[in-house]
Amino acid sequence: MNFQLTEEQELIRKNIREFAAKYVEPIAAEIDENERHPTELFKKLAEGGWMGIPIPTQYGGSGADYLTNAIVVEEISRSCSSTGFTVSIHVGIACMLILLFGNEEQKKKYLVPLAKGEHMGAFVLTEPGAGTDVMAATTTAAKDGDFYVLNGTKTFISNGPLADTYLVFCWTDKAAGRKGMSSFIIPRGTPGLIPGEHFHKMGLRSSQTSEVVFKDCRVHKDNLLGKEGAGLTNAMTGFDHGRVGIAAQSVGILQAALDESIRYSKERVQMGNPIARHQAISWMIADMATDLEAARFLTYHAAWLKDQGKPFSKEASMAKLFAAEKAMHHTIKAVQIHGGYGYIKGAKVERLMRDAKITEIYEGTSEAQRMVISGNVLR
Amino acid sequence: MAGVWVLGENREQLFELLSIGRSLADRYGTTLVAFAFQDAQAARDCIAHGADRAVVLKYKGQEGPLDVFLPAIVEEVKGKDPDMLLIASTYKLKELAARIAERLKAGLCSDCIRLVFNEGEKSVEMERLMYGGSAIQRVVCLSRPAMATIPPGTFEKAEAGSGRVKEGDVDEIVQTHESAVTILERKVRERESKDIREARTVICVGRGFEKKEDIKLAEELATVLRGEIAGTRPVTEEMHWLPESRCIGLSGIQVRPDLYIGLGVSGQIQHVTGLRDAKVICAVNRDANAPIFGVSDLGIVGDLYDVVPKLVDELKKGL
Amino acid sequence: MQRPSALGPYQKQGIPMLDIIVCFKWVVDEAFIRRTSSGDLDFSSVDYKISEYDRNAIEAAVRLREECGGSVTAVTVGPPEAAKGVKDALSRGPDRAVFAEDPLFGGLDPSQTAAVLGQVISSKTPFNLIICGEGSGDVYSQQTGPRLAEFLGIPCAAYVQKLTVKEGRVTAERKVEGFIEVDSLPLPALVTVLPDIATPRIPGVKDTLMASKKAVIKVGKNELTAVPPPLLKTKSVRAARVERECEKFTAEVEDIKRFVAALQKRGVLK
Repeated sequence: MNFQLTEEQELIRKNIREFAAKYVEPIAAEIDENERHPTELFKKLAEGGWMGIPIPTQYGGSGADYLTNAIVVEEISRSCSSTGFTVSIHVGIACMLILLFGNEEQKKKYLVPLAKGEHMGAFVLTEPGAGTDVMAATTTAAKDGDFYVLNGTKTFISNGPLADTYLVFCWTDKAAGRKGMSSFIIPRGTPGLIPGEHFHKMGLRSSQTSEVVFKDCRVHKDNLLGKEGAGLTNAMTGFDHGRVGIAAQSVGILQAALDESIRYSKERVQMGNPIARHQAISWMIADMATDLEAARFLTYHAAWLKDQGKPFSKEASMAKLFAAEKAMHHTIKAVQIHGGYGYIKGAKVERLMRDAKITEIYEGTSEAQRMVISGNVLR
Repeated sequence: MAGVWVLGENREQLFELLSIGRSLADRYGTTLVAFAFQDAQAARDCIAHGADRAVVLKYKGQEGPLDVFLPAIVEEVKGKDPDMLLIASTYKLKELAARIAERLKAGLCSDCIRLVFNEGEKSVEMERLMYGGSAIQRVVCLSRPAMATIPPGTFEKAEAGSGRVKEGDVDEIVQTHESAVTILERKVRERESKDIREARTVICVGRGFEKKEDIKLAEELATVLRGEIAGTRPVTEEMHWLPESRCIGLSGIQVRPDLYIGLGVSGQIQHVTGLRDAKVICAVNRDANAPIFGVSDLGIVGDLYDVVPKLVDELKKGL
Repeated sequence: MQRPSALGPYQKQGIPMLDIIVCFKWVVDEAFIRRTSSGDLDFSSVDYKISEYDRNAIEAAVRLREECGGSVTAVTVGPPEAAKGVKDALSRGPDRAVFAEDPLFGGLDPSQTAAVLGQVISSKTPFNLIICGEGSGDVYSQQTGPRLAEFLGIPCAAYVQKLTVKEGRVTAERKVEGFIEVDSLPLPALVTVLPDIATPRIPGVKDTLMASKKAVIKVGKNELTAVPPPLLKTKSVRAARVERECEKFTAEVEDIKRFVAALQKRGVLK
């Protein structure tokens, strides 16, 4: 078993770390405070090819592997989880879905600008009444000659307010049950696609999240992504990729929590010693470091399996479940280690703790992950 | 044949090299020779400050690149076979020294901060910094002559003795060579008045200052103490709140004042290297664990915005 | 070696292309040097990097090629582990690399490095201009560049902040105490450059992946005439310690008074 990253992966990690320290870290607190999407930062990310890492170069991507993508998401998230997350879903879901299920024309038209980072993508599935229960969705796409007409409301859509390309999942044939959903590629500006206003969230505040409403939105059949009725399977594939990304994001959060905790505990002196010398604190840090290692290896393994062309659903779920829960658990500990200072706005751990919570919820809640994993293991 | 030879671009550098040069020449039991560029008076003054002999390197016409003297210097060395060459570590002399060393196939210790004469081996062990100032490397030259470049300010200037200059003590070497390099012009870098190396008290501005305008706090303190303002590398070379000529550190200036006070200076090794020989080191920092306190004699743990005005008040009372 | 045919604006005026060599060193990343509890240096978890000053040099070389057309060859001397550095260097823009490789090449002194570089350059790659960093990040002897110039018998300018090449000459603005001296040197020439010369780029993903597709010429020790013996011997390397007993004071007015009294006592108040 080779646990060694390739030289390229190591170099890429160093480069993105330098990039993150230079361009991401300095604005992370501000974009969180102001709920701002940093357009200028995403432009720089696009220039370096960081927005389409696993996409082949012929489609505007960088032609690297998914493990490299996971490493990059992790390193960006270490500085700013919102930015890491946005890169993750843009690449892992929007880009990958078109790569895997789009036809040549769709790839040229939609994938290329996405992979180049010229366009932003959004994954549009969740509805007010349909979260974990995907089948409870009510958005429909009624056939009308060469077109489909979409009606319904989607919510909690990341990049909802600003995406250029929306990947939308809805019923084309409700009676067909699991084979009744289809996926569509819908560009911004299509009449009847109405991005809603940005939600104000506890954490991940720089990521723009909103409702997306469809009101008699007419979409040509050329925009059908994959076959009619393949929507749910497409979405599941999307989740597999997305979950590796969220796991990587959580690993980045964990790493940041550990970095901050180590630094603070060495500097903070109470009762004559740096608190790192107190067992209560050092043990917290030991647990944090251990769970970080485990989360990282679960994540890298899932990414590696995908790169090997092997099934990786179960591993992606496991990585996401574990990394997210540990990220939440340990960011709480990190604030605890910082004491009062960890509770004040401006402390990085304050933001990390708020950011961590959503990782247990989106891309499939921890409960949903347990369903996937048990379903797999108990077969 | 033997000798300890020193070479500097100006009289101050020469007098500093003469002090260490004298002690080494005495240990070797040999003569101390000073080489000056163009300035015959400086050469004569070197004799007054301890050199046994002096040489003026003269341009044929106008001043030009220093490498016009390269072949002549190399010839002199080959002819007179000195034990050791000590050269001031200026931008131009560092380049020249390396080229002299290459032609002579001599070992060269760059930016040497300490020289220790080894009695047993009749050789000089030289110390210099490595790894950005974290480590001290001790080397010996395996060649003859041994060569070292020495940063200005490392040694005290040699005192002037009572008039010993005799006519034959000063020689002249005229430029024998043309350079391939042409000097087109000289551009002034910045208006610089003081050399902070001369200051007996230095107040250093660190990143604890929130904005450039707040430096006037440090200036008030400097005025009361009759000292000079300096800065760490981030404050000078990165943020340009102060000119680079006031940067204290490994890549900046090394100072040896009587009193150094760092305000909002964290105390990174690259900075601390530049002030390690100060007589009294003080720091004001609100982080009790800032590394600067590990290298300070006196440390005030507090916010500089609070401490400095109080300090200025207290000092004014004393005057 | 096939020369790339990148045409810069000068070529369109019929001015020949520039073959640039940039030298770099793979060094210990000093951020990873730790101290043991007794204060000694601990190199056990060090990582390596291209020396910071060399990154600026590589960037300067690549930008010059963009202006003038021609090629950039990155050259290094080091042990086999430095192959990572070769890849890193290639991801920053040079067209190809030459790597003088031998396990013993990790501990050469500046005169030896210059000799190996000189031999490798004269035998493997033609050039108009050699760019070196002002010094290496680890030893920082600042000698290798000028020594190499002497070895090759070419003119030299050190501590250069700005470079332009025109009509067979390089104009180098070099830092000198108190001012900037503008020198003109005929090509072929060597310059050593300050960090101000160019801010190094952060390589993008494709740059890193493409690096392994670029040509690397390896030169072993036996392809060279004997490496000269060292001229310097390192007797020891120890941690630099600046340690003083720190008397602490609070920010209270009473303590400020005590502080001033302590300064008085030490005789540093005039």
